[in-house]
Amino acid sequence: MVYLDHHATTPVDTRVLESMLPFFAERFGNAASKHHAFGWAASDAVEQARKQVARLIGAGTRDLVFTSGATEANNLAIKGAAQARRGERDHLVTVVTEHQAVLDPMRRLERDGWRLTVLPVASSGVIDLAELERSVTERTALVSVMAANNEIGVLQPIAEAAVRAHAKGAWFHTDAVQAVGKVPFDVDALDVDLASITAHKLYGPKGAGALYVRRKGRAVKLAAQIDGGGHERGLRSGTLNVPGIVGLGRAAEIALAEMTAEAQRVAGFRDRLLEGLRAKTDGMSVNGGMTARLPGNLNVSFAGVDGEALMVSLDDLAVSSGAACTAAEPSHVLVALGLSRDRALASLRFGIGRTTTADEVEYAVTKVSEVVARLRAMAPSQWCA
Amino acid sequence: MPYSDEVLRRVREPQRVGTLTAGAGVGTGESGTLAHGTVTRMSVRVRGDRIVEARFKVFGCSAAIASASLVAEWLEGASLDAAAVLTAERVARALQLAPEREYVARMAIEAAREALAKVEEE
Repeated sequence: MVYLDHHATTPVDTRVLESMLPFFAERFGNAASKHHAFGWAASDAVEQARKQVARLIGAGTRDLVFTSGATEANNLAIKGAAQARRGERDHLVTVVTEHQAVLDPMRRLERDGWRLTVLPVASSGVIDLAELERSVTERTALVSVMAANNEIGVLQPIAEAAVRAHAKGAWFHTDAVQAVGKVPFDVDALDVDLASITAHKLYGPKGAGALYVRRKGRAVKLAAQIDGGGHERGLRSGTLNVPGIVGLGRAAEIALAEMTAEAQRVAGFRDRLLEGLRAKTDGMSVNGGMTARLPGNLNVSFAGVDGEALMVSLDDLAVSSGAACTAAEPSHVLVALGLSRDRALASLRFGIGRTTTADEVEYAVTKVSEVVARLRAMAPSQWCA
Repeated sequence: MPYSDEVLRRVREPQRVGTLTAGAGVGTGESGTLAHGTVTRMSVRVRGDRIVEARFKVFGCSAAIASASLVAEWLEGASLDAAAVLTAERVARALQLAPEREYVARMAIEAAREALAKVEEE
């Protein structure tokens, strides 16, 4: 089985795993236990991880709130900001291609009476900054724009979007789970107020993430969404997941040290995958712009192929289809780019990562092109693009 | 995986894919449209009261491919009487199709019936 689905999740790096292991049975203390060495060891490890994560994104250590992952971080950012600014402001802005972990909290707030603007994207997948500027008003509490899209890997102009949000006094959040550790991401350079991160997208464990909350300059004060004990400066109560947080920290440290070389290698594989597929398969189109894109992402559609049959036929290749999350419904991201339902369904997302080898890329080229050819040959008439 | 091994095997290694050239003893039938997402075509060659060859072509989901493949397997070598009593329910049961996929089994049977009805005189 060849794994090319690194946007869904990544394997835990063995160096990360090693860093976590002592915190299960030996150094198992509660980081909130202030009166004995078990607690101190746990607390020290958490603070060390906080520094490692802060360094990766250019944040201060006091700006990070550990969470169970990005969904919780997004919920805390969005609902926490809305609740904190309720009365003063009543409008939210986001983008149609966001992950459900942003869209769903936004829609819940809309049901609760907030006005919501969902910005479209161009066929490249990128937002129109002028449209964003027009949408943000002095009533806007929060603007949320993802740093890198999980399906098409397209990078949004975060710094430019943040400037436009701030011009009207709105706070700016970015779901940065796909970008952090893959491409340079600095909260000060981008001037974001809130950023969501998760460990399992950067070779760390599932169940650990963080929300960056700006405390310098524009102090962002969120309303907590989980109460009970006042952990994480009162923003996220609950016993800290020490092994998970240690893993997140180590994963962040490795990502920072190896990002440049890894991005180059992964982008090389991605380009080879695209070149190989283009050489062997006609009627293929790339979804989303290729200029500002995650190095390991490729998303393509095949004309004249049933998407479901395509996925089922790729039995030993772990990739995602345009129908990944909600069976039989096309991806909302691909539809937002203007793809037809059939074309969106007949799409594949490749996520190349740290463990991918050149042989695996060649295998994917061969397998996908053979399956596409076989399905087309099986069709009653010549496929039509 | 929502599909049975019976479906997966036929999708990954389809047998009897093709179309028989029109002529004496050959009939071809089709069901569905591209606009609706599934087209199944079945061709049969009949000698006497027996189907000696069956081929299919299909555009559609895994269940559609497996249904067409299974019907072609059943038809080849079957007597015309045996072919006449094949039903979509039998196809769906053999492939363990979910109820919402049973329509593709019906399309394979419809294409087969049309093919048999259109067999040209020898």
